[in-house]
Amino acid sequence: MKKYLGPLSKDNPILVQLLGICSALAVTAQLKPAVVMALSVTVVCAFSNFVISLIRNTIPPRIRIIVQLLIVSFLVIIVDQFLQAFVYDISKMLSVFVGLIITNCIIMGRLEAFALSHAPVPSFFDGIFNGLGYGLVLTVVAICRELLGSGTLWNYPIIPASFYEHGYMNNGLMILPPMALILVGVLIWMRNSKLKQVK
Amino acid sequence: MELANIFVRSIFIDNMIFAYFLGMCSYLAVSKNVKTAFGLGVAVCFVLIITMPVNYLINKYLLQSGALKWISADWVNVDLSFLTLIIFIAVIAAIVQLLEMVIERFSVSLYQALGIFLPLIAVNCAILGGSLFMQEKNFPDVTHSFVYALGSGIGWMLAIVAFAAIRDRLKYSDIPKPLQGNGIAYIITGLMGIGFMAFLGI
Amino acid sequence: MKNFSNKYIFLYITALVVIIAGLLSVVSIALKPRQMQNQEIEKAQQILQAAGYDQIAKEDALPLFSKIAAPLESSTQREMYTIQCADGTQGTVIFVDGKGLWGKIWGYVVLADDFNTIKGAVFSHKSETPGLGANITEKKFADSFIGKKIYDSNGKFVSIKILQKAKSGGGVEDANRVDAISGATITSNGVQEMLYKSIKEVEK
Repeated sequence: MKKYLGPLSKDNPILVQLLGICSALAVTAQLKPAVVMALSVTVVCAFSNFVISLIRNTIPPRIRIIVQLLIVSFLVIIVDQFLQAFVYDISKMLSVFVGLIITNCIIMGRLEAFALSHAPVPSFFDGIFNGLGYGLVLTVVAICRELLGSGTLWNYPIIPASFYEHGYMNNGLMILPPMALILVGVLIWMRNSKLKQVK
Repeated sequence: MELANIFVRSIFIDNMIFAYFLGMCSYLAVSKNVKTAFGLGVAVCFVLIITMPVNYLINKYLLQSGALKWISADWVNVDLSFLTLIIFIAVIAAIVQLLEMVIERFSVSLYQALGIFLPLIAVNCAILGGSLFMQEKNFPDVTHSFVYALGSGIGWMLAIVAFAAIRDRLKYSDIPKPLQGNGIAYIITGLMGIGFMAFLGI
Repeated sequence: MKNFSNKYIFLYITALVVIIAGLLSVVSIALKPRQMQNQEIEKAQQILQAAGYDQIAKEDALPLFSKIAAPLESSTQREMYTIQCADGTQGTVIFVDGKGLWGKIWGYVVLADDFNTIKGAVFSHKSETPGLGANITEKKFADSFIGKKIYDSNGKFVSIKILQKAKSGGGVEDANRVDAISGATITSNGVQEMLYKSIKEVEK
């Protein structure tokens, strides 16, 4: 069990391995799309790990990247179609970024590093926990940005109206894309200094 | 005129890295020094300007709803757009693999310079993202998509080379220990992004 | 690791592609009706919202829409409807579309029977930045168009100008302007452009 929990903090894919940042940052201006994105990535990561691990002995090594990409994009299209059919509002919010899950390095990274050399079931869990580790960072960044940038969480107003009457202003800078990068930088900083104390 | 507009826009305003965060993974991993950064930049540029026009043609004559009417009028209603992602990525992966073989065959020195980056590029979000944005932008012909690809590629290269240069200087600066390495890299990219936002007004 | 022959590789990839394409077509065809219906419902909901009907549930949107609205034949290609607004008056719905920062933006504008005063508006987008440009979908922004006019006091067609709050109008009358979304200049300009071009097409 313990070896699966690594991605949540010690081996966090975003904070430590620097993977999957591309799509992570663009969807974190609000909490809701961030959570949906995290769930989609978790699902795709888990199932692609599972499938690749199942057929790992039949894949010719020379074309393994193409095979992996095909399987991943297959799963992504399925997720995309389901989002469009059942949670239409949210699928609109994510738009192109659902497609970019395909090139999310976390998924490719886990396929290369884990699924190609492990049995299907452990690969499946590895995928789930890596997806969750990714989701954790996304959620934290999204909470900071939505709360400070728009004064809401999950679209519900959090900052009371009386604050605004006394001159409180939403920090517009928080919504701008570069702030996501700076927040992740700060998260890494916090995590590193905490780990050092534990040691 | 419009082409020049697309070109400048895609370099500065719609910069792949600072505006869309595409291709961040290799951007952070391969920016330790200016020379390798430049190599990767050239490789990305190269792959972009080949894959994007190809994907443009595929999208126009194969995937869009109603695109198949050049085969037969009965096929007007065939909509293959749900296959977009899988075809784009297959084209990209195939072209990257092809390029690798061609370069290896014809120029050993070029292969040594670019070769190690090529497998990285197949999974570079900037390439797929470029094709997807291109599809969304609905360019009228191949030339537009070529110019857009060239601009995006140069923009990406500019960003990674600039970032590598800054990182070079960072070695001599006094950064709090826990912030060193990745932490400061993210923050610098963020600050550079804010800088690039100034171009938005153009 | 085993060595694979070229023939094996070739067959492998072909089989894989065929299987995947087959499965995808099945999923896509199975889900298509639901997706189309979602789009229909969304469109009906948006037009109803622009016409002043608040909080129409998903199930009720289509029946209500077909009851009170009818497509309007016009010489232009533009999609238009006549609709009975929530306050009982007749209005004209005009479909507007244009380009934002990242991709398509579109919406519906409801004009009162004087073909001048805006009774309501609603906007949508494909991929504007969440929290910035995406805010054009918010009711607050759409509602700021209510009561605005597309002609100025001299009867000249000016559409609606979208300007930053702080900037003075520069000769634009109050009835012809609304406040832009701060931080989303390009999207705001896109909306302004979209309104001008689309309404110009049907303006008499």
